[in-house]
Parts: sequence; C-alpha cells; structure tokens
Amino acid sequence: MAAIYKVSYVIPGEDHPGAIVNTEEKPTVGDQIQLGDRQFVIVELIDLMPARGEFHFLHATLKPVPT
Amino acid sequence: MDLISQLSKVELFDGLTEDELSQVASICRERVFHPGEVITQQGESGDELFVVTEGLVEVLLGGPQAERKPRAVVNLGQGQIIGEMALVDHGPRSATVRALTDPTLVQAVSIEDFEGLFEDNHHLGFIIMRNMASDLSFKLRHQHLAGR
Repeated sequence: MAAIYKVSYVIPGEDHPGAIVNTEEKPTVGDQIQLGDRQFVIVELIDLMPARGEFHFLHATLKPVPT
Repeated sequence: MDLISQLSKVELFDGLTEDELSQVASICRERVFHPGEVITQQGESGDELFVVTEGLVEVLLGGPQAERKPRAVVNLGQGQIIGEMALVDHGPRSATVRALTDPTLVQAVSIEDFEGLFEDNHHLGFIIMRNMASDLSFKLRHQHLAGR
C-alpha cells in the first residue's frame, strides 16, 4: 500500500478551527491547501508522531492565501 | 474505489488482514449528507461510529449555557473517524458534527456490530482499539497545537 499522510492543519490568528485530513501525497512547505471554500499555504511542517507502517503523522501550520 | 480499498486507507483499520477488512466492510452502511446536515448531536446518545470517506465535516462544541453559540473546534476530512467515544465509553455524544461539503459521504458502523466483531476476533478488536487510542492521541496533539 502507498504511504498515507494524516495531517493536522492549524491556522494561527484566523477564525478557522483547522482540520485533520488524510492525503496520499506528502505535503511540503509552500503547497496550497483547500479547506472547504478557503485556500491556504503551508508555512511549516513537522512530524507530529512517529510513522507506523505506511501511515505518517504530520502537523502543518498554514496561512491564508491573499485574495 | 471499492469499500475495502477505502477502509485500508483509514488509520483505524491499519494492520487488519484482507479478511478482517472484509468483515468490517460487511457491517458498514454508507450515508450521504449535505452541507449543514447533522451527523451527531452533542448530548444525545449514540450507537454508531462514522468514517468520513469523502468531503469535510465540522466538529462543534456547545458551552455549558444552552444559549451560547456552539464553536467549531476542528474540521475532519477523508479517512477521519467520528463518534468513536461512544465505542470507548458508551456515553452521550461529546460534540455536534455537521457536514460542510456537498456531498459528504460517511460509512456508519453500529457499535453493537463492532463489539460483536471484537468478541469473535480478538486480533481485530486489539488492532482497532490500538488504532483508536492513536487517533485520540493525534486529535489531542492537534488541539494542543491549535491552542498555542
């Protein structure tokens, strides 16, 4: 099975609760993420917990993409 | 994508054999929700656990006063589980969960059916409860970082 990335997203200073979502593509700093109808960019990415098998546990800090 | 392939990409079922995934698939029931529709209601009893297979839901917590507007604490997307605390403690729903996207697809599993599988297959039961503990740990770490 291909790797699965379980990602915790938080958006400091914004009226958005953040999200937890699985993705099959490893996120990287600079990637744009759509949560609902809003677009964000990843500004920091860390391992949240050690990987287990094909599951990787990441935490990403986001900021809104200027409209 | 078939249901077993979808379930194999959910952390809750990581480590199950193909046969065990088939057993879980046999007790899943797909439900379709639209934006604003309630999947679980805080304070009500719950006898099902849900796995989000498509879309996004929001988790809302009400305050101690009934008049206080519930606040969203996290959104959950593909592969995430909802209502798992009912499987752990059989207590009332700890939060309200609403669909955000159209459609939002979930697989619903009866807690009674789940516990029946655990009784019949202790390996399956151990794996799912271990993964549920890991999921609760992940959500707690997320909340810690969200509150920085």
